[in-house]
Formats: sequence, C-alpha cells, structure tokens
Amino acid sequence: MYGYEIVQAIRGRTGAVIAIGEGVVYPVLHGLERDGALRTRRKKVNGRSRIYYSVTPSGSRRLADLSRTWVSLTTAIQAMLRGAQYGDAIP
Amino acid sequence: MATQFHELRERLLRAGVAPRHVRRYLSELTDHFADLTEEEQQAGRNLVEARSAALVRLGKTENLAKAFFEQRQFQSWCARAPWVMFAFAPLICLGAAYLVACLYLWCGWKFFLPGVDTPFRTLAAPSNSLANMYFQAGKFYYYSAPVLVGWTIGIVAARQRIKAVWPTVGLVLISWMGATARIQAGRTAVPRGLGHISIDFFTLGSSSQTISQSVSSAFLILTLAILPYFVWRLRRAFVPL
Repeated sequence: MYGYEIVQAIRGRTGAVIAIGEGVVYPVLHGLERDGALRTRRKKVNGRSRIYYSVTPSGSRRLADLSRTWVSLTTAIQAMLRGAQYGDAIP
Repeated sequence: MATQFHELRERLLRAGVAPRHVRRYLSELTDHFADLTEEEQQAGRNLVEARSAALVRLGKTENLAKAFFEQRQFQSWCARAPWVMFAFAPLICLGAAYLVACLYLWCGWKFFLPGVDTPFRTLAAPSNSLANMYFQAGKFYYYSAPVLVGWTIGIVAARQRIKAVWPTVGLVLISWMGATARIQAGRTAVPRGLGHISIDFFTLGSSSQTISQSVSSAFLILTLAILPYFVWRLRRAFVPL
C-alpha cells in the first residue's frame, strides 16, 4: 500500500474514530522503514512514481509483540473498570 | 515541487533534516495532496474548494514539520556535527587533494625530467609540448583545489540552509591551508634514489615578504571560494524565494 491507501485503510477500519492530519503518517512510515519494520519499492502508476510500503518479517514480529502487549494492557484496564462498580466513591 | 509545500521544505531544511528525506517527504505529500484533491472533486467540490479541503486534511505546515523534527534520525550530519562537516572534513579533503598533486608532480618529474634535481625549474620544452601542458595542468589543479573545496562548502551549506558561522569557519581554514601550503621537492643523497616530495601547511614563514604573500594569497583564495555562497546569501536576503 502507498501512503494515501494506508490512511484510507486506517480511517476505514477505525470507523474514522482515529482522524489524523494525513501527512503526518509519512515520518512514522519513514521511521519504521529505517528501523527495518517496513520495506519500500517505487512503482510508476499513471505517470506518478508512488512509494509502496510492505511489512518485513521483523516488522510482523514487532507488530505481534506490540499487539500482545496492547491486548494484555486493555484486558487489565477493563478488569479494573469492571471492579470499580463494587467500590465506594471516596467523599 | 508543489508551491504549497515550499514553506514546509524551508522549515525542514533549516531544522537540519537531510535534503534526501525532505525531497522524499515532499514528493509523497505532493502525491497524497493530488489524491485528496481528486477524492474531494469526486465528492462534488470544484477545484479550488477541493484543493483547500485537501490541504486541511493533509495537516497544518507546523504539524507536518513537527512530525519530522521529533525524529532525530532524519537529521543530516551537517546539522548534527557541523564542525566535522564544515571545518574538519574540508581540511581532510584539501589535504587529500594536495596528496594527489604531489603524486602527480612526482610522476611528471619521473617521466619528463628524469635525472633533474628538482621539478621546479623552467622547462626548456616549447609551451605546447606534452611536458609543459602536463605541469601547467598540475599547477592549475594545485591552485584551484582550495577554491573548489570552498565552493563545495558553499553548495552544501546553501543546500542545507546552514547558518553562516560554520561554513565561514571552514572557508577561512581552507584559505589559510591553501595559502600556506608549500611543496618541496629534491633528490635524495642516495645514488639513483627516487625524488623526495614533501608538503607543509599552516606555517606563515619567517620573512615579512613570505608572511605578506601568504596573507594576500589567503585573502584571494577566501574571496574566490566564498563568492558563490556570499552571492547566494545576498540573493536570499533580498529576493524572497
């Protein structure tokens, strides 16, 4: 996917809950590419030279690690929120 | 490059982001802007409205710039270590250029003046002879090396919008090095031995004549080397780009 497609995908999958200045996605993509999580290739489409990004194996591993951390964190927070209904408010 | 990103480019370069990252970022933003404009037009807006909506969606210039500033890994070496790039590296380059000049002189001495005690003597050969042209080309290279290194400093500084301090320090240093470079060449005492060539830098000499010669040469080199950079800075000061 190229930058525009990535932003559309983020918007589509999050139901436009995550709305960012679309241009700020590029420094993040460049940073991930530099870290080896993404690789790029240039492709000429309709006279425009687009840069397509794809995830590397190391990027996939990093994504899996971050997803696990995120899921355990949100599970813990949800558990805390569920527990809060039994507590009394401190005056 | 789209004119709407001119301010962003200037901000990024002034903040020390490497030009190759700036170029790529702006090229991707330009493409993204074109896609957004197309999308907005398909949604029924006219071109002017579509373009302004696309710019809003892309983000404010300061946010687009900030997103890059936060990542130090995109900074150029000229911004990270200007003293290395503008003071140390040019001296090394000029030293390397003089080393090549010495090698060139030694080759000419060996091939065109075998048996002569020093290559620094008036050639008996006609001015259009190969030997004469060879040594004149060497002389030209030797004298133009500090100016070329100076121009390179100016080009790099202009390209990366570096403040004038470090480029000026670099230009003064290479002018001083260029003006005080002295090549000595002579036969060694060893029978059938090879010639010996050495070069000194940064010594002004002992006689007042040598000192004044070195100072005026340094001034001449500095003037020639700084000229393109000076003109560029003047142009930027008076003509908004």
